Amino acid sequence: MAFYDGVFKALGLSDWCGAEASSAPMSMADLLAQSSGEETKGEFFPFPSLDNLNESCSGIIQSRDVTKGIEEGFLAAKPVLKSILDPITQPLSWLLDGALWTFAETPWFIMVPILVAISWYASRSVGVTIFVAFSIFLLGLVDHYDVAMQTLSIIFVCTGISVMLGVPIGIAMSKSDRLQRSVVPVLDLLQTLPTFVYLIPLIFLFSVTESKLYGIAIILYAIVPVVRLTDLGIRLVDQDVIEAANAFGMNSRQKLMGVELPLALPNIMAGINQTIMMSLAMVVIASLVSAPGLGVNVLRGIRNLELGVGIVAGIGIVLLAVILDRVSKAALTRVDMTRVKH
Amino acid sequence: MANEPKVRLRGLFKIFGPKDKEVLQHVKEGMGKEDLLEQHQHVLGLQDINVDMQAGEITVVMGLSGSGKSTLIRHLNRLIEPTAGEILVDGVDVMKLSETELREVRQTKMSMVFQKFALLPHRTVQQNAAMALKVRGSDEETQNTEARKWLARVGLQGYEDRYPAQLSGGMQQRVGIARALTANTDIMLMDEAFSALDPLIRTDMQNLLLELQDELQKTIVFITHDLDEALKLADHLVILKDGAVVQQGEPQGILMNPCDPYIEDFVSDINRARVLRVKSVMAPLKGTEFAGDVDIGDNLESLIARSEGDTTLHYRVMEGDTPVGELHMRDLVKALVPRLSSTEAAE
Repeated sequence: MAFYDGVFKALGLSDWCGAEASSAPMSMADLLAQSSGEETKGEFFPFPSLDNLNESCSGIIQSRDVTKGIEEGFLAAKPVLKSILDPITQPLSWLLDGALWTFAETPWFIMVPILVAISWYASRSVGVTIFVAFSIFLLGLVDHYDVAMQTLSIIFVCTGISVMLGVPIGIAMSKSDRLQRSVVPVLDLLQTLPTFVYLIPLIFLFSVTESKLYGIAIILYAIVPVVRLTDLGIRLVDQDVIEAANAFGMNSRQKLMGVELPLALPNIMAGINQTIMMSLAMVVIASLVSAPGLGVNVLRGIRNLELGVGIVAGIGIVLLAVILDRVSKAALTRVDMTRVKH
Repeated sequence: MANEPKVRLRGLFKIFGPKDKEVLQHVKEGMGKEDLLEQHQHVLGLQDINVDMQAGEITVVMGLSGSGKSTLIRHLNRLIEPTAGEILVDGVDVMKLSETELREVRQTKMSMVFQKFALLPHRTVQQNAAMALKVRGSDEETQNTEARKWLARVGLQGYEDRYPAQLSGGMQQRVGIARALTANTDIMLMDEAFSALDPLIRTDMQNLLLELQDELQKTIVFITHDLDEALKLADHLVILKDGAVVQQGEPQGILMNPCDPYIEDFVSDINRARVLRVKSVMAPLKGTEFAGDVDIGDNLESLIARSEGDTTLHYRVMEGDTPVGELHMRDLVKALVPRLSSTEAAE
């Protein structure tokens, strides 16, 4: 006799519940208990969970029906979602494949000078540039140049797209309180949802062989800071300066391009820096869904217990992270300098 | 020039709050600031402002903080929307302009100087000065020559390529003034333009402004909380209290005949000898023997110095080359004592 029988009887719901309460499928725990010959001992006062209620009233679903329902619902919606998302996201696959191909096919003696030149152009700092050159040299020395370039190319593409989408979204948010109120919870969700959870529905939607699968996962994860900080940066622009812009009759485009974006730039750059770091974090996890690069070696280290392989790849990732962080931070300081130059 | 005022404010009201139009009626029926806040949670900004600002004059709006003076100046270019009333600039009601027309007016008719300078930190001094022209879409050539010209005029030659953060406060405000002058508008709005500067630099800037005004004859609306500054600059002085005009008129007149205890208190502790001028204390020309000639625009301080404190002397007052009156040192000394405020007099 289940604990909640009396409750349903008292509520007069016995008819709705149906008499064949015992015919419902058993839970695994019940089955195990039965086969080991022990009678399941009812708790003194069990929590009114779906499973416990189901024992008294088969009209109530079991917990596993919930997960099953979600799965079935998702699978039912999948063809529609796929038909919409597939064409939209196809360019992402091309971009990623293209970038991977370019980074792989360009000979190292051309690629390395280009990367060093980019670091110099962005940071204008001798120390940072030398550090970049030295790090790439180290990676190449232990034959991790190719995988590091794969990781780097994915980060380039994903960061680029995150910025291209994130900055306009941030601008729109800063202009409309209502939009901000509705977007912020989505950003919170994207930021707190465990990274593996993104991957599950994506695997169902796209095939694992497509590069856009990990591209989307990385962008969803990495776009958050650039959106947040663009919004914040524009909202923090000195109201006196905005008032001056209005007083001299600037239209909204002149205000945005001539005042708000330049003054918000340090914050936006800080957002881009964070976006780069987060895409690097995600690109490692995305190796679970066939993203190439250093993450694959880390995964190999875990799977095959190859300690050395895993650690070398891990150090490679740290090196890449430091390079990207230093270069983008140096660029940020340079932007900041024009504001308070003494 | 039949004295058609350049800027005219007619029955201007401003109430801050979501239902300003609805509570306006209460204010018109005489509800005060405190009652309005308590009963309707709306803040009374301005009530029934009627001011005429003549072309080529400096109109100074003075009041303590919270008196609504900064709110008032922002109505002229509609940075703040009034609850009710008319704002006529050159006879055109600013309130009836569309957004594009309003921008046009802001670009070509009025420029503004701000208390906190409000320069663009990422642009050079010259680019800042040229801002108005750039907004208007003038060509690069004009932008550069005009900006350079006015920067030189305010004494900033050689600083064109610096950034605002590299300049001192006084110099930054010079850039602010150059920016307003480069816009080449008839009307200049100056919102506590010198309040953030230290006293010596403030005097410099006031002199600069008077010098420029002699040359350019702009219609200037100047906001300040400093009575000395107001008296020094004003052709027309408007005194605000709790969002209403307490007294307005020629500054010497207000000083000699304050119409309200509030203003009496206000004017009681300023240096009258430095502010009052011969014009305000002279008598009609009658005598024949004088200790000398004085100009009608001289302040009393210079006369005291000249007479070496001798109160028996008489001076002939000249306006240019024609004698217009006489000045008894006795009257002068009397004028130095402020009229007792009515509360003190009653005791």
